[in-house]
Amino acid sequence: MKRPPSPAILAVLQALEDAGVTHVIGVPDNTSAPLFDSLQEHPGILLVEVTREGEAFAIASGLWLGGAAPLVVVQNTGFLESGDALRGTAVRMGAPVPFVVTGRGYAKMEAAGLGPETPRTPELLTRADLDSVAFMTEPTLRAWGIPYETCRRGDDPGAAVARLVLQARSGDHPRALLLTAELA
Amino acid sequence: MLTRAQLLEPLAAHRTDEVVVTTMSVTRPWGRLSSHDLDFASADSAMGHTADLALGIALARPDRRVVCLNGDGSMLMTLGTLATIVGCGVTNYLLVVVENGSYEITGHQPIPGRGRVDFGALARGAGFPRVFGFDDPAAWQRAVPDLLGAPGPTFAHVLVEPTAEGPISRRAAEEARYLKVSLAEWSRIMRAALVAS
Repeated sequence: MKRPPSPAILAVLQALEDAGVTHVIGVPDNTSAPLFDSLQEHPGILLVEVTREGEAFAIASGLWLGGAAPLVVVQNTGFLESGDALRGTAVRMGAPVPFVVTGRGYAKMEAAGLGPETPRTPELLTRADLDSVAFMTEPTLRAWGIPYETCRRGDDPGAAVARLVLQARSGDHPRALLLTAELA
Repeated sequence: MLTRAQLLEPLAAHRTDEVVVTTMSVTRPWGRLSSHDLDFASADSAMGHTADLALGIALARPDRRVVCLNGDGSMLMTLGTLATIVGCGVTNYLLVVVENGSYEITGHQPIPGRGRVDFGALARGAGFPRVFGFDDPAAWQRAVPDLLGAPGPTFAHVLVEPTAEGPISRRAAEEARYLKVSLAEWSRIMRAALVAS
């Protein structure tokens, strides 16, 4: 049985509605699954579930071409998979596609007293108690020229999503929100 | 087996206000037949992501038919998109896979499984309600009005002869109008045309 949406999910939904987002495209993970659940039968926002995250950026770019207002939601592992799709569609097209990247591995990284700037040595990236993707996400965002903001535990995810969409629309380039807080 | 002209000329003849998205070896031939604002060349962009980009346009504009002329190598790169298309429930989408069996613009290297991959079976397996295969020019020519007009999503795979199209560029010297400017510039032109229509 589905649980009722959490206050964080309700805040994100409200932000999407207020911003006029028409489509949410992506692959759910444990963080974003409650949002995907809440969008399954949303009357005004169409949920587009894809088979691989790279598809999401191409579809969102096509949606933007057609005059729609898409938002991509992917896990950081899927973000890494999406490199050429993001580069070859939204970036090259000048499409201001906003996207949320959920932060798998951040809790373990922070519990170990480490951060995204910790040197990515072979020893670090193969540790069983850590998830290597947490150490690669932000360097990759920067390497690919994607401006981003981080929404951590205790921050307001609704306000962060609202800023993401607004700031993306004011430019001609994709923009990201790294979401390391839980939404449930 | 069809020539590139036998494939594209019937589409150009029956095309009215459809969006046409091209990639790889049909990009220039289509651009020689059409200079419409609603043509989009994704040839120089993300490898294999043409069918999903076209799906986005179809989702944004359910009132308008979208035709995607995809390559067989490109289709193999993102087979999951077949399931995504069906899952979305779009009815205004025609996906044509141009089967030349090779990565033509890089010099005709064979695609994986050339001659053994059954694209029609892949589309049927993904749930496409309308799937057609063509290797005869006359049958293709007769079918085009129905392919463009009937509710989909529709999948067609067409066996074509190889050509000698080289790598695609974007520069003023290109013959096709949609290749004379950057992808960003053409995206602005096409978006303005779509939003205004």
